[in-house]
Amino acid sequence: MFAVLSPRFRSIENVQNMVDAAAVLAVVTCGITFVLLMGSIDLSAAGVMGASALTVSLLVANNRNDNDLGLLGIGVAVLLGCAFGCLSGLALVLLKVPSFMATLGVSAAGLGVATLMFAGVQPNVSDAMLKGWAIERFLGLSYLTWIAATCILVGWLLQRYTRLGRYAFAIGGAEEVLALSGVRVKPYKVAVFAVAGAFYGLAGVMVTSQLGAGLVQAGSGYDFSAITAAVVGGTLLTGGRGGVLHSAVGVLLVVVLTNGLVQIGVSPYWQGGVEGLIVVAAVAAAVIPQRRRNQVVK
Amino acid sequence: MKITTRPTVVLLSLSLAAALTGCSEQAAGGGGSADAGGCQPADVKLVGQVRNESNPYEASWLTGGDEFAKTVGLTQQRLTYGGDSTKQQEQISQLLAGDTKCLVMNVLPNGDSDTAPIVKGADTAGAFLVTQWNKPADLKPADYKTWISHITYNGVESGRQIGDALATAIGGQGGIIALQGVLDTAAAKDRFAGLQESLTKNPGVELLDQQTANFSRAEARTVTQTLLTKHGDKVKGIWTANDDMALGALEALQQAGRAGQVAVVGIDAVPDAVKAVQDGSMTATVSSDGTWQGGIGLAIGFCVATGKLAVKDLPAANRAFFAEQFLVTKENAADFAQPKTNPSDFECGNVFKRVAGALT
Repeated sequence: MFAVLSPRFRSIENVQNMVDAAAVLAVVTCGITFVLLMGSIDLSAAGVMGASALTVSLLVANNRNDNDLGLLGIGVAVLLGCAFGCLSGLALVLLKVPSFMATLGVSAAGLGVATLMFAGVQPNVSDAMLKGWAIERFLGLSYLTWIAATCILVGWLLQRYTRLGRYAFAIGGAEEVLALSGVRVKPYKVAVFAVAGAFYGLAGVMVTSQLGAGLVQAGSGYDFSAITAAVVGGTLLTGGRGGVLHSAVGVLLVVVLTNGLVQIGVSPYWQGGVEGLIVVAAVAAAVIPQRRRNQVVK
Repeated sequence: MKITTRPTVVLLSLSLAAALTGCSEQAAGGGGSADAGGCQPADVKLVGQVRNESNPYEASWLTGGDEFAKTVGLTQQRLTYGGDSTKQQEQISQLLAGDTKCLVMNVLPNGDSDTAPIVKGADTAGAFLVTQWNKPADLKPADYKTWISHITYNGVESGRQIGDALATAIGGQGGIIALQGVLDTAAAKDRFAGLQESLTKNPGVELLDQQTANFSRAEARTVTQTLLTKHGDKVKGIWTANDDMALGALEALQQAGRAGQVAVVGIDAVPDAVKAVQDGSMTATVSSDGTWQGGIGLAIGFCVATGKLAVKDLPAANRAFFAEQFLVTKENAADFAQPKTNPSDFECGNVFKRVAGALT
């Protein structure tokens, strides 16, 4: 539809632009998909990304301190994300806090940690490699896009070929059955949250590369965009159905939507509303086949 | 320790405030220092209040206050409320519960609705008050005795100034795109109205597209990328309603391989933007001069408190006004990289030198 309305939308440059714009959202959605598959929800992306963005910007070459750890700094940021994910998972299985609240709390904690590290002066990244990720291109697409593609591939392999991925499906489908058949469910739940956290950590690093600075708000809005993308792609909030590839399609749909609205020149005063309505309509269309089977909508 | 003392302080301040209201009613406005202004310079107590010191702009405001205080041999009490309206009111009522006879306050209200209780409290207590940036349109210093002035900046003018600078930078010819702020804020509306004025004046400049990026660096980057692919080489300039968005647009240009080919302008003069103007990657920004703002509120209050100026003699244009703002370009960027004050700005004869127009 957008292609008909705007000739620019069809151009190669715009396709490149859209795929590049989808990179960060794709990585976040990859992470969130595993949690959704289990039938839990994860709202911690914004906080975890903020904390990892600040961490990485302070560890690689920057204007605040003399650190120049390069790849190691990026690794630490991803591990930090992983640790935050663990925290969510532990709160869920040990303290029996519903995932909704546990992850919301972890998000707030992440933002708090980020604010502490921010300490009033924005760290600007001068590390050539990290900045280059967003600028340099390989086969017409930025390095970040290739990183995102790798993440989707890794996510798909995890989901398809490891016990972790297959149990995530099973937990979402029927946790009791899995538990009764002698599988210890809890460690897998924590592991799924940890994997998701690592993906958010990487996403925080990618945003930092794009903006050239560590921002506390690096992840703001990504949590809901990612859930939207996953659901639009056909991953059910009730768990057990969907997957990384479904979600990747959902990401492209969401990005095409925001890009298309700008390209055909919808007034900014209308865009927010129009976007919301289209998403609700798309999700409604996607879940109608399941509605009859599920009956209940939560 | 803080937690245990707080209830007592609140109680104390509440009861004192109540007592003061009672007094002024009985005395029919005769109490307090009102417009008498007979304080000894050494008795004046100076207070500057902003949201937080971690924001470079607001930190420079407190620095300006300190520098003014030094010129009159006093010290400024620095207050920050972390962007929390309740905390701001609490700090103000604690202040007003103390000795308010020669109290001078230079306050940045958190939002429009926070101004009314501050003004009313100060008026009742007879403390001298200057507010900046935020106030509801129907609340006017002219209706109060000790609320001396309200200072703000004309967004239409700053929007126009950078619009004109952008037009000059692209040689008066070509397409530009505009990034708006949060659409329902006065700042976003006024600044964009200024751009439209500038466009009428520069008929060669064409506004190709305008989108909102909500004052955010990340959103500005994405929107700019999309607009750059939409309009391609027709984009010669980017107008943004604040510097954060300008910096986001710069990143997008760099990633599109067009850094240096497109002129970018913003507003606020945040340190990173001033640096970008200095090295030529950005064309212009607008500064309200935070150090001056921090000093001037205290200076006006000090002059009135010591009787060198009388509130009743001040013309309407000095009670609520737009202050002069400065276009920062490559030529003068170095002056704005290190904020500094000029002591002569704060002499009682000069405190209203920067009035650029009455606020109606």
